[in-house]
Amino acid sequence: MSRLLRGRHRRADLPSMLIALDETLAAADGRIDPEVAGRAEAVAARAGERLRLSGEHTVVALAGATGSGKSSLFNALSGADISPVGVRRPTTSRAQACVWGVEGAAPLVEWLGVPRRQTAWQHSDLDLAQQGDLEGLVLLDLPDHDSTATEHRLEVDRLVDLVDLLVWVVDPQKYADAALHERYLRKLAGHDAVTLLVLNQTDTLNPFAAAVCAEDLRRLIDEDGLSRAKLMTTSARTGAGVDALRVALADAVRRRRARNDRLVADVEAVADELSAQVAEATPAGIGGPERTQLVQALAGSAGVPVIGEAVEKSWQLRSAGVLGWPPTRWLRKLRPDPLRRLRLGAGERREVRAMVRSSVPEPTPVQRAQVETAVRGVVDAAGMGLPPRWQEAVRRAADQRAKDLRDELDVTVIRTDLGVDRTPMWWRLTGVVQWLLVAAALLGAGWLGLLAFGSYLRLPEPKTPDWHGFSVPTLLFLGGVLLGLLIASVGRLLARRGARRRRRHAEARLRRGIEEVADRLVIGPVEAELARHETARTALDRARAG
Amino acid sequence: MTAGAESAPLLAALERLGAQVTDLRVPFDLADAEAARRLRQEIADQLDDYMLPRLRRLDAPVLAVVVGPTGAGKSTLVNSLVGARVSAAGVLRPTTRSAVLAHHPADAAWFDERRVLPGLERSSESSSDPASLQLVRSARIPAGLALLDAPDIDSVVSANRELATQLLAAADMWIFVTTAARYADAVPWDFLRAAVTRGTAVAVVLDRVPEGATDEVRADLATMLTEQGLGGAPLFVVPETTPHDGMLPREVIEPLRGWLHGLATDATVRANVVRHTLAGAIRSLGGRVFRLAASADAQADAVARLRREVDDAYDDALIRVDAASGDGSLLRGEVLARWQEFVGTGELMRALESKVGRVRDRVTSALRGRPQPGTELAEALETGVEALVRAAADEAADQAGSAWRDDPAGETLLGGDDLRHGSPELAEATARAVREWQGYVLELVREQGQGKRATARYLAFGVNGLGLMAMIVVFAHTGGLVAGELAVAGGASALSQKILEAVLGDQAVRDLAATARADLHRRVGLLLEGERSRFTERLDAVAVDENAGTALRAAVQDIEDAR
Repeated sequence: MSRLLRGRHRRADLPSMLIALDETLAAADGRIDPEVAGRAEAVAARAGERLRLSGEHTVVALAGATGSGKSSLFNALSGADISPVGVRRPTTSRAQACVWGVEGAAPLVEWLGVPRRQTAWQHSDLDLAQQGDLEGLVLLDLPDHDSTATEHRLEVDRLVDLVDLLVWVVDPQKYADAALHERYLRKLAGHDAVTLLVLNQTDTLNPFAAAVCAEDLRRLIDEDGLSRAKLMTTSARTGAGVDALRVALADAVRRRRARNDRLVADVEAVADELSAQVAEATPAGIGGPERTQLVQALAGSAGVPVIGEAVEKSWQLRSAGVLGWPPTRWLRKLRPDPLRRLRLGAGERREVRAMVRSSVPEPTPVQRAQVETAVRGVVDAAGMGLPPRWQEAVRRAADQRAKDLRDELDVTVIRTDLGVDRTPMWWRLTGVVQWLLVAAALLGAGWLGLLAFGSYLRLPEPKTPDWHGFSVPTLLFLGGVLLGLLIASVGRLLARRGARRRRRHAEARLRRGIEEVADRLVIGPVEAELARHETARTALDRARAG
Repeated sequence: MTAGAESAPLLAALERLGAQVTDLRVPFDLADAEAARRLRQEIADQLDDYMLPRLRRLDAPVLAVVVGPTGAGKSTLVNSLVGARVSAAGVLRPTTRSAVLAHHPADAAWFDERRVLPGLERSSESSSDPASLQLVRSARIPAGLALLDAPDIDSVVSANRELATQLLAAADMWIFVTTAARYADAVPWDFLRAAVTRGTAVAVVLDRVPEGATDEVRADLATMLTEQGLGGAPLFVVPETTPHDGMLPREVIEPLRGWLHGLATDATVRANVVRHTLAGAIRSLGGRVFRLAASADAQADAVARLRREVDDAYDDALIRVDAASGDGSLLRGEVLARWQEFVGTGELMRALESKVGRVRDRVTSALRGRPQPGTELAEALETGVEALVRAAADEAADQAGSAWRDDPAGETLLGGDDLRHGSPELAEATARAVREWQGYVLELVREQGQGKRATARYLAFGVNGLGLMAMIVVFAHTGGLVAGELAVAGGASALSQKILEAVLGDQAVRDLAATARADLHRRVGLLLEGERSRFTERLDAVAVDENAGTALRAAVQDIEDAR
């Protein structure tokens, strides 16, 4: 239907159709049925070749079954006995050419693969009066396509693809042969403008029978999908209808449109075939839920929860080392730093860390399974509605770098600043205060000790300063100890909150890094594949629109 | 000349072959499937239409089928031989669309009943229905011979070609009609070559020869016939004439008519033609049935191949789930964290204290708005197992589905369906199976603890606590754990094991763990079996007999023995 509506009334822009076809094939390379791709490439190549050759000439081929009278018609049109005619079947075994208007035709005839000795050259200056109207015609007499000689059929198959205008010569005995309709005409559906049918040998029938026969042939051609192809009746023996055929050919030669029409029909046919190989619309891409699920699964497999917990523990331990009550700080040295055990410890320089692997535990089978399921989810969502080969390509794109996921995740984990390197200023200040308090307590203790020693020796009690009635050394000692313990426990509380915050920050940073890995290794390639499909689809639309 | 005692075994063997060929299933679109289906139809038709009826009655009239390309003048020739317009002739191609059988009135009994061509509906009028057979009685046809006008073999109407092929296989003799314009056409020669291989008797009529071309064309055709092994076939030339009232002039067809009459009246010659063609047909059967048997083998191989793909994929999946759930690695990650909460929040220890602890826990849980760690641990185990089964099922489906899709036979079975994912119900089914398994483990613990109900320890942990510990023991086999975790996860299972042993006794714990593990294996196996059945059901539905090829070859051997 679409083909009926377009094309005929305007000149299709063949060059841009060919460019679009090339773009389609380049983008869809390996993602479409190789047979269809092969046909499309052949059409593109052939069209390019034909366009470089003489546009002043129109190549017309007489094709048909053995004994239908191709050679007789050929001779009648060329006005000479060029092609041998006989009763033995098959008669013509090599394609025969006759060229009107020699200028520039030689490369064309060579491209057609017709040997020079099989070619007759009609110089226009010889009998201008009679033959001038065919100036620019290259007429081919093809061998048969249905005899026991297989090589004839191969030659016909080759030339049917190359010529600009096809004239199928049929006779009343054979006009309904499967060999003609199934092998050739049905495959030329859409080539109405460059297909002409000639019912020859009408002299063997009475006029009424000939008309009935032509009507039946018309019906068969319509069924073949060539409803607008022209049908003529001739008799090469009596000469009836030959002039009309000649006029039709002269008309085609004069208008010089057959070449273009033929190539446009070829491109449209393969473009129609290609359109089944791409989806009507490219899928919208990867949705939020699939991406979130993938990042979630990757985070699990990269050990984000384990690291987060280690960050929290490590922060608490370190805070205890700074904020804790100095006399009991040594206790924490008995507990190992969990981050250091993962080889992500604070203080290790990141540049150095980048060279080694972390000791984050290998992903468990469950985590690996979750990653697999998530990647599958991404592939499914992205490939929704695409033809199978494209879905396969999407999956390949996702799998292609999936094996690097483990390493890349580890590198990301190592490179990520977990935010545990820095020691907060208030820690240091508090640490100093703690030491000062210890010093004060020691001072108080020493002072009290001296006082006690003096009293033991019954020395006169020196005047000890007091503060609101409390003795200063006692205040120093008790205040130093109690305050130190208080600050240590308040510090521990604060550090616990801080540790939870650190953990959240570290996890968020890791997650951002992992999102980047997911985008780079899975989502990016998948979206590139979708972009490729979009390129192929739009280019194909252009190829079809002309 | 009815079927004698000596031909009874042969008849039985052929009947058996016929049944086997008809029953043969060729469901897969393999490279040779289309050819195999045609061959199956062809052999079945030839057995029913020709060999069996002919073998039952060797004295039946000779059936000569008039065959040739469209427009060769077959109908005109038959009309002229009969002397009446029994078959429509005309310029439209193809002219004849159903078969016309002309015979002597005395032979009517042979053809009225469905002895030959039982598949065709008898009628007395001409029609264009390819499933009908028009019977015409004519005294001008010699008794003992029947002429069958067949549709063409090469026109666009494919029903014609099929009918012609069927009629040709049913005939005792071919009268092959071609024309001066057509005698080199490829399609008819393919048919003639088939006649040569089948040993069918052939007479050739070269029709519509233009004046003056007779000698050249006749010589050329004779050469071609000799080249194809038909040098001995009689060749009749009919010149191009304008038919008068649809009939050829009498003198033109006289040589052919004379030959046919000679054949019909001489019983010995007739019997020779019949036996020659029949023997040839039976001889040619062997090769064709062997080809069919090869195709049947290919179909059976395809079934085996597809089944192997599915079995490999799902067996691997089960092994994968088993390995992952048995090596302790399931206890890492989420499960481990939940275990630590379970132990760390003191739920385990508090459980020791008494029911007060449990009440307090519930209150705390309600206030905190989160479930008890014990529930979370059970859930973590459930999600873990579920993720494992789902990924394994997806991978197996992907593996088997892709293998099927790349296989033409598999493609046939899949139709348009894509089975490369686990079934949509799988997630739900897995969750249910894991919950049921957990219930089963609790039940086991309850049974084991039957006699110990009263002990303080049993009461302290309750069935649920012990059940969770049993599950931990099941999943914690060995290995798979690294450095820091080993201590904790290993500790988790060691602690669980110790407590369980203390409550239930160590032999009981070992038995319990083994039983629970076997049950989990069984349940996962059932789940995967359900997944697998999406493939195997399709395989079973096609019901390809794997011994069909062997049986066909044996049938041929039987026929050889009976001959």
